[in-house]
Amino acid sequence: MRKCLRVSLGQHSLAGAHPINQDFHGALLPSGNLLASKGIAVALADGISSSAVSHLASETAVRSFLEDYYATSEAWTVRRAAQRVLDATNSWLHGQTMRSDARFDKDRGYVCTFSALVLKGRDLHMIHVGDSRIYRLHPNSLEQLTEDHRTESYLARALGAGPHVELDYRTWEAAVGDIYVLATDGAYGSLSAARIHQAIGRDSADLDGAAAWLVEQARAAGSDDDATLQLLRIEELPEDDALQAQQRREGLSLPPALRPRMDFDGFTIVRELQVSARSHVHLAIDNDSGRQVVLKTPAVDMRQDSGYLDSFVLEEWVARRVDSPHVIEAWPGERRRAYLYVAMEYIEGQTLAQWMTDHPRPQLDAVRDIVEQLALGLQALHRRDMLHCDLRPENVMIDRNGTVKLIDLANVHIAGLAEAARGREQAMPRGTLQYLAPECLLGREAGPQADLFSLAAITYQLLCGQLPYGLAAARIRRLQDLRTLRYVPLRHRRPELPPWLDSVLGKALSPTPAKRQEEVSEFAYDLRAPGRQFQLVARPPLIERDPVLFWKCLSLVLAVTVLVLVFWRNRGG
Amino acid sequence: MAYLAPAEFVTKMIDAGESKLIMATRDTLIRAYMAGAILALSAAFAVSITVNTGNPLVGALLFPVGFCMLYLLGFDLLTGVFTLAPLAVLDKRPGATWAGVMRNWSLVFAGNFAGALTVAIFMAIIFTSGFTEGPNAIGQKIGHIGEGRTIGYAAHGAAGMLTLFVRAVMCNWMVSTGVVAAMMSTSVSGKVIAMWMPILVFFYMGFEHSVVNMYLFPSGLMLGGQFTFMDYMLWNEIPTVLGNVVGGLTFVGAALYSTHYKTAPKRKVA
Repeated sequence: MRKCLRVSLGQHSLAGAHPINQDFHGALLPSGNLLASKGIAVALADGISSSAVSHLASETAVRSFLEDYYATSEAWTVRRAAQRVLDATNSWLHGQTMRSDARFDKDRGYVCTFSALVLKGRDLHMIHVGDSRIYRLHPNSLEQLTEDHRTESYLARALGAGPHVELDYRTWEAAVGDIYVLATDGAYGSLSAARIHQAIGRDSADLDGAAAWLVEQARAAGSDDDATLQLLRIEELPEDDALQAQQRREGLSLPPALRPRMDFDGFTIVRELQVSARSHVHLAIDNDSGRQVVLKTPAVDMRQDSGYLDSFVLEEWVARRVDSPHVIEAWPGERRRAYLYVAMEYIEGQTLAQWMTDHPRPQLDAVRDIVEQLALGLQALHRRDMLHCDLRPENVMIDRNGTVKLIDLANVHIAGLAEAARGREQAMPRGTLQYLAPECLLGREAGPQADLFSLAAITYQLLCGQLPYGLAAARIRRLQDLRTLRYVPLRHRRPELPPWLDSVLGKALSPTPAKRQEEVSEFAYDLRAPGRQFQLVARPPLIERDPVLFWKCLSLVLAVTVLVLVFWRNRGG
Repeated sequence: MAYLAPAEFVTKMIDAGESKLIMATRDTLIRAYMAGAILALSAAFAVSITVNTGNPLVGALLFPVGFCMLYLLGFDLLTGVFTLAPLAVLDKRPGATWAGVMRNWSLVFAGNFAGALTVAIFMAIIFTSGFTEGPNAIGQKIGHIGEGRTIGYAAHGAAGMLTLFVRAVMCNWMVSTGVVAAMMSTSVSGKVIAMWMPILVFFYMGFEHSVVNMYLFPSGLMLGGQFTFMDYMLWNEIPTVLGNVVGGLTFVGAALYSTHYKTAPKRKVA
């Protein structure tokens, strides 16, 4: 049987001297898909005792964290999802404070501490602000994992205390049998490793009972504050690849070689569309719906490569999660599969590479139309924290209506997944080297600007049929190689195009990502409406604009000089 | 033993050609140098066997070890890039130009020559005990191989040149078939078997290989062969290089490309 994520949880909270318990705690242990993509979350918050409304703050913080975290994109990293959710909670709490009388006395506002653990895949993520604590239990000691954000008796950092909140974040690999303790200041005063071991030892199956006993012990030791304590024991961890899409692959066998008219897993194969050393692509008919689909199966050479097969199954997953008219759609069927393959919509039309051959010197408007649609497709990916990473003319289809669609999502880099697959090094970038941004070739972390570079390189190629840096950009291996890159201005190849194009493309093709436009949308906008900074570029000298005219003028000047000299000498002689 | 469908390994050939054009100058030179050196060493090895056993078939049977080694280590021979690099241009891969192909060919030529020359000097030292005595039996054999294959051709004039050229064409027909055959299999044993056969054929038949000659002739000059460096260049190396280009490109590269790749539907979806 396959191992999955399983934990035991115990929690207890006890109000102190006040009638209202200002602590709030909660945990969510989802099942199925959500467990794989989002994991288990345990959180607690402690309101400040000087405020009459801080119990609302702590309740809001925990509730909204548990609800909103699970609603964030599956492609987001835990850190990003938690940060976004808590930023939103923080602004709301701060806004409440500023709208109430508490704006004159922050000690009475909507302020609370917040500490949470998220267990996703095999990794634990800690998010923390304030003076509640998270401990790891060792045989003889308690290791405090959090830092108390406290100056003397005041909270230095807390949720709702200011317009922005700085969160502590840490992540590490979890181990089976680990026990973690989350506690508010009312509960951790008298906590010790021996006492926790004693509490758990009373009945190791009843962690709730252990938590209650520990809270009572704290009360007995003289704490009169609200006391909350949560115990988290890790019982079982999943195998390495956490994502369900990847887990599914192991149950599937590799497909046989497909032949026309063959019946394959509920599809009838029509014909071969493309066969390469990486994959085989066939046109097929879905027997249930009668719709045309495209089936992609791994090539013989790649069948041993488990890294390739892992990313292979993700292609459909990516297509399902991105809803854009400019990104290929996955086959909507939910039928159970027996083989490993990817099923996608069939786009009737031509590739951008073919379009380039058909239109060797296109109008700027035609290119702009294509580039803008491509930018929309890329934006849809970027909004979901994904990078295409293999943008090239062969991976773009133009259908009969002129709609441009991104196909081949096999190399898409997914931030949330990269986290789950951490440690599995990717040796070489797998995209086509000619269009890859230099930072990818140097093995640096790539952002949306890497896709922007590829898009700009394609724009350049669409306009003049050549690459902006030739093959030099593909030969980059070391940082110093960047100096060998020389952007060949477009006006040398197509002088009739407007001069500002070079400034816009030159910016997007800068070897340094920080110098490019920030988003693909900005680049697309610059292509349509170049700002003044692009227009103001000095007119290139005559020798660059029209070398022939320059040499003609120079020759004329020389001829005149010679004539003048001859005439002058004759007169003088 | 897994076997790739022809359409699959032809795309692999084009991909390989494209990667040769993209390869950095430094890498191209190092890989070519190592390839030249290893092939030269196995040529010396094969001649030693032939002299010691008196049977050229045994030498030819074992000569392919060098070729297998350098292929598995990822080094590049001139004969291989003659076949692969132009495919990227034929297939209109982005940025692939004939100028890029010429750049790659020149770099690989320089690297192979330097590698073969290094081994030639090392082996000459071994055959003559550090130039203190005349070459031993193997050294003498290598010294005389060069004579027949330069002055011998020159004696026949244009007919000799034609023979030399056709032998060079036949050579790379076989050698490139070995390179391509190695791509058909996904396992090391499969690659080795696939490479062994054509290389064995070319060596036994005495076809002209531009890189093997980069070892045999300079060593011949060092070990007392009765021919000049100009004889070697005009009556062997240059025609051999041209013949190798023609043989690799026409009979292997263009042939497989046009029958297995061009006939396949060009459209690509997903």
